[in-house]
Order: sequence, then C-alpha cells, then structure tokens
Amino acid sequence: MHPLKLAFTMLASLDPELMGIISLSLSVSFTAVFAALLIGLPIGALLSSYRFPGRLAIITISNTFLGMPPVVVGLFIYVLISRAGPFGWLGILYTSYAMMLAQFVLVLPISIALSRQIFESLNNEYEPLFASLRTPKLERVMVLITESRVALVTIALACFGRAISEVGAVMIVGGNIRHSTRVMTTAIGLETSKGELATAMALGIVLLGIALSVNVASQFIRSKFEKSTIND
Amino acid sequence: MIENNNNSFIIKANNLTVTRGGKRLLDAVDLAVPTGSLTMLLGHNGAGKTVLLRTLHGVFAKDGGTISGPPETHQKMVFQKPILLRRSAQNHFKFTCPELDQAQTSAWFAHANLSPQMEVNAQRLSGGEQQKLALIGALASQPSLLFLDEPTAHLDYESTTAIEAMIRDAHANGTSIIMTTHNRAQAERLAQHVLFIHAGKILESRASSTFFATPNHPIAKQFLTHL
Repeated sequence: MHPLKLAFTMLASLDPELMGIISLSLSVSFTAVFAALLIGLPIGALLSSYRFPGRLAIITISNTFLGMPPVVVGLFIYVLISRAGPFGWLGILYTSYAMMLAQFVLVLPISIALSRQIFESLNNEYEPLFASLRTPKLERVMVLITESRVALVTIALACFGRAISEVGAVMIVGGNIRHSTRVMTTAIGLETSKGELATAMALGIVLLGIALSVNVASQFIRSKFEKSTIND
Repeated sequence: MIENNNNSFIIKANNLTVTRGGKRLLDAVDLAVPTGSLTMLLGHNGAGKTVLLRTLHGVFAKDGGTISGPPETHQKMVFQKPILLRRSAQNHFKFTCPELDQAQTSAWFAHANLSPQMEVNAQRLSGGEQQKLALIGALASQPSLLFLDEPTAHLDYESTTAIEAMIRDAHANGTSIIMTTHNRAQAERLAQHVLFIHAGKILESRASSTFFATPNHPIAKQFLTHL
C-alpha cells in the first residue's frame, strides 16, 4: 500500500500508538505554552511599562534565547536535570516533564519579546492617561494585558507553533521513549530513519492539521473578539 | 511635586523649567492662575503650551522651579487627541471614574448626549463623541482644576458648540480651567484670563478683554493678527 494511503488508514482507524503520541504532543505543548504565557505576559508588560535596574539585562537575555538553537537549550536543560546535575534530584530526565520544561524555555522568550513589543506600543499610547489618572502600576499592567487580548491570541499561536514543532530539545531531554516520551516530531524523525514512511506521514498530516486548526481557531477568536469589543 | 496652595490662586508656578534633549521647553516660567477662572493659554505651535499644561498637571517632569496647586486627585486633564481604552464607552468611563455607580454613569452620559453610545466601543465613536467622553470622564470627579489641551481641535461646529457648553457648565459649577486653543473666536468667547507663551516663556498674563484689545508684547500683537 502507498505510504500516504496507509497513513490515512492509520489515522482513520485511530491507531492507539499514534493517538498516544498525538495526545502526549498536545498535552506537553499546551502545558508549556500555558506556563510560558502565564509568566511571560506579565514580564512583557512590566518590561514595557517600567524602567528598573536589570531591565536591559532581562531584555538582552530574553532576546538571546529567542534565537537559541533548540538542541543547545536541550543540552543545557539536560545538564541541569541529569542525575549529576544540580536539579538531578527532581528525577524528571526522560519524562514528559522534562520535555515541557524544554518547550517552556524555548517559548518563554517568544512570549516575553512579542508581548513587550505589543505592550510597549499600547503603553506609549496610554501613558498620558495613566499618568493623569495616577493609575497604580499593577492596574496598568492588568489594563495592558486585557486591552491587548486580540494580539495575545497571536502570541499564543506563535508560541504553540514553536512548541509543537520542536524536535531537538525534546529528543535530548525526553529520549524519544516509546509509550512514554515519544511525541510527533521525534516519532517522525525515528520512523523516517527506519523507512516507516506511513507512520511518519500520518504524524506529519496530523501536525499540519493541528497547525491549520490553530490558525482557524485563532482567526475565529480574533473575529469574535473584534465583534465583542464593539459591544463590550 | 505639587504642594498646597492658598485660596486666591488655584495654581502657581515659580521659575518653572523643563529641558529635553538639550532644548529648553519651558524657560523660568512664573504664573499664577486665579481660582475659579477660565484661563486661556495661547501661543504659536511649539511655544510650549502642551508641555506647560502637562508639567503643571504633574505628568511631565520638571527640571527646576516649584508648582503650588490642588492635590493630584483634584486635577484632571483632557488631551487634544482623546486617549480611550479599547472597550465600551461606559467601561472606559468607569475606568476613569471608578467611584461612580451605574446611575451616576448614566446621568453623565445623558449630560453629554451620549446615552445611545454607552455600549459602543470607545474607539469607534466619532471625534466629537470621543472628546465628549473624555471630558465627562474628567468632569465626573468634580475636579477643582481642569486642564484642556485644544479640546475642540479638528471638531465640527456642532461638536465644538456642545463641548464649549460643557466647559461653561463645569466652570459655572466652580471648576477652574486652563485651556489651550488656536481658535481666536473661541478664546474670546470663553476666556476670562489669558496667558501668552512664546518659546517657553510667559510673555503676558492678563484679563482676556484687555489682552485681546491691547496686547502689550509685539509677539502677542503679531500672534493675534494671525490667529
């Protein structure tokens, strides 16, 4: 059977191993992105709104990590969480937690850098109003986050795209262990090297489908937000 | 920072200086604005009107001098281009005046003839409606001092008339107002007192009627012929 036809057959039959890989990929990436947004957005808002000692250092580090090769991130985390490393006692090497951590480290700079740009532009616009009303710092941050909600969907999408397509770092810290830490990208690499093109193509189709779904969902949410802000 | 003030003048500034990028934007400004007055701050573009308003209001840092005015919470400012949040008109209003309840909010929208626009996104209102929204947001807390930076710039006759009526109401209710404009007719209609600023210096501070009739300074004379 042609690999592509076989791939669709596997998908249609909801092949348990395939579903397990897809499910693990989604849960790891969603968790990493959620955590990165939870921490990255307030940091982005603070960096855009306030000048404080260490601000430029945080921006520089964040921008450096933005272009950091995933395998280097994976290696760095591996060293930290390996048995001999400072966080070896956590015992998370070759678990899904290690993969979440790797993806979190990869997407956190994206959420910080993109949100900082968006918040900075909005903060420049609102600054005279905030200053005139003597709006407290925390309230300013909350306003910037809520007022940027449409743009934040795009940030979440960019983070998710980066996380779900990541292969090098999760391979190093996850180990690509069958039924345990095998995700779509690492499985595609493995199956392709084994010549099992059907499985690799099935997973590739799912990855493309996820990318398409996320885009469609994001467009839908954006249009809903834009309509809702008319009558907010 | 802003300190307490005596009763004759709502706000006073002594030797007020602002420098940015090596350029002196305000140059040893001395002024005293009578309590309860509607003072018009006039001057050419780039003379320092907006910088002076923002510095007096405390949202622009001064480099020297003193300001003595009402507490920050008793001052409000309306900007030339209204700064509105991306939310409904009434939710923007509630952000600017969180202490007001729904009935009071509705009353202020009715006062500005904006009741039908309460649920409309503030950014989608017309220019006149946006400026009225910004104005009621400033007036609702009944400030003792209100700064208005060209509040009717680029607005049509109808909106300008409506906003002038709101300004007169606020003034009649005891709010001291310092306002800028490039519209001589408007300045003559509204002003009791005039401050004329040029290149960051106050050149004239006089009653409106005498300023427009017989300006003292040659630059003020020249300014009025072109206003």
